[in-house]
Amino acid sequence: MSREALQESLSALMDNETDELELRRVLAASGEGEVRATWARYQVARAVMHKELLEPRLDLAAAVSAALADEPALASSKPRLPWRGLGRLAVAASVTVAVLAGVRVYNQDDLAATQLAQRDAQPLMQARPLQGPAVLAGYTTNSVAVPQGQGASDAQQRWQQQHLPAYVRQHAQQAAFIGTQSALPYARAASLEGR
Amino acid sequence: MRRFPLLVALLAGLASPVQADQLADADVAGWLTRMAAAERAHSYQGTFVYERNGSFSTHGIWHRVEANGQVRERLLQLDGPAQEVLRVDGRPQCVSGAPAEQLADAAPLALRQLAAEQLAGHYELRSVGESRVAGRRAVVLLMLPRDQHRYGFELHLDRLTALPLKSLLLSEQGQLLERFQFTQLDSLTLLSEQALRPGVSCLPIKSAVTPLTTANHWHAGWLPPGFNLLAAREQADPASTALLTWLMFGDGLARFSVFIEPLQGESVVNTRSQLGPTAVVSKRMPTAAGEFMVTVVGEIPPGSAERVALAMRPAQESTP
Repeated sequence: MSREALQESLSALMDNETDELELRRVLAASGEGEVRATWARYQVARAVMHKELLEPRLDLAAAVSAALADEPALASSKPRLPWRGLGRLAVAASVTVAVLAGVRVYNQDDLAATQLAQRDAQPLMQARPLQGPAVLAGYTTNSVAVPQGQGASDAQQRWQQQHLPAYVRQHAQQAAFIGTQSALPYARAASLEGR
Repeated sequence: MRRFPLLVALLAGLASPVQADQLADADVAGWLTRMAAAERAHSYQGTFVYERNGSFSTHGIWHRVEANGQVRERLLQLDGPAQEVLRVDGRPQCVSGAPAEQLADAAPLALRQLAAEQLAGHYELRSVGESRVAGRRAVVLLMLPRDQHRYGFELHLDRLTALPLKSLLLSEQGQLLERFQFTQLDSLTLLSEQALRPGVSCLPIKSAVTPLTTANHWHAGWLPPGFNLLAAREQADPASTALLTWLMFGDGLARFSVFIEPLQGESVVNTRSQLGPTAVVSKRMPTAAGEFMVTVVGEIPPGSAERVALAMRPAQESTP
């Protein structure tokens, strides 16, 4: 199956418009990383179009496979032990925690949400080649996500939630007073409201 | 017949590019001057769309120049929440849709005229032909950044009034960051008093509590070339009595704000994010007087915003 045809099928699948044959072809190819990446990209594009929130890197199939692979003893010897079921539960739980953690980090901040939707839509913006001194060390394409560093606590995120929207709004409102084209900053400010 | 002068200009451009550039420059400067004066010269009403990544909205505008030169303008969002603002000479009289406590902050600033000479140092100004927007003929101007610290603009100005009918903000790679575009504009019909009357949800604005100041306790260690301080204010936070500093910088087209506030033992992480054309970068800054949070918000590339944030210093420390 050619790449273009496959992409078309993927697109159709996303819109719920595949016939059975097409669905089989897609499923047969779904093991390939490239196909999955394309699928993820389409989902991001759709999320952007519908203003939905989506964690694009959240490949559940991969996460589950990895979690299962990390459970060596369970599949082999000592069959009917009582904690066998517990182990499975643990695998499932670890995946759930991963999912919830993703939702927690990315759902909390409005700024993060918008920016997340943009990450794949506008990859070049972050990948801007930077000239000049190396003050921007650590400014990488992947670290654009809102809190930098992993364990951003609730308190840390609360500060962002309390302050950043007000700052952005104040900037847009003040910008409307300076300069000649007042309707544009007004529209910028308005686009931040009611979200 | 109209095509002929353009053809001559093109041929002249091939023959002597320098001279053609100068001609184009003069042309562009003329249009920019006209544009700067257009809002005070013409009454109009119309509808426009605003689009940025993740957001699309439609708005109505009613703009009337009174006999005494005063400009009254009413803006109303036509879809979603009915956000409205009524401005007289740029000062908002009433606003709906935003929390009231932030509106008290809104202070009128002197209108800055668009100076083509100032812009030319940091943008390559180009006239690139004609277009049609909102059923009207328009001239297309490009403002291409000369460095990586600002975005490019594509402006479509109404041939008749020089009002900006369409304005696109473009990244270095030519990606569209935001679109402002009229879908309908009427600059001939007289506007009634009724059209400029705001709705009941448009709440009056108190005058600003804190006057603007030019002195501030902070020094920008690095600014993108061409950016100057446009406004500054220091204000006590009513909640914590901490002194908040707000600075606004601009290069004539692009603007960014710097907000500085002391961290009182709060644990905060550095962040950066992007809202369409607006970069938001927050950095913690340890100083002799304690730790501060510096936040840069503006329509500049995120890398430049970050550099500004990292280079902000207390004024005392900047003069060794």
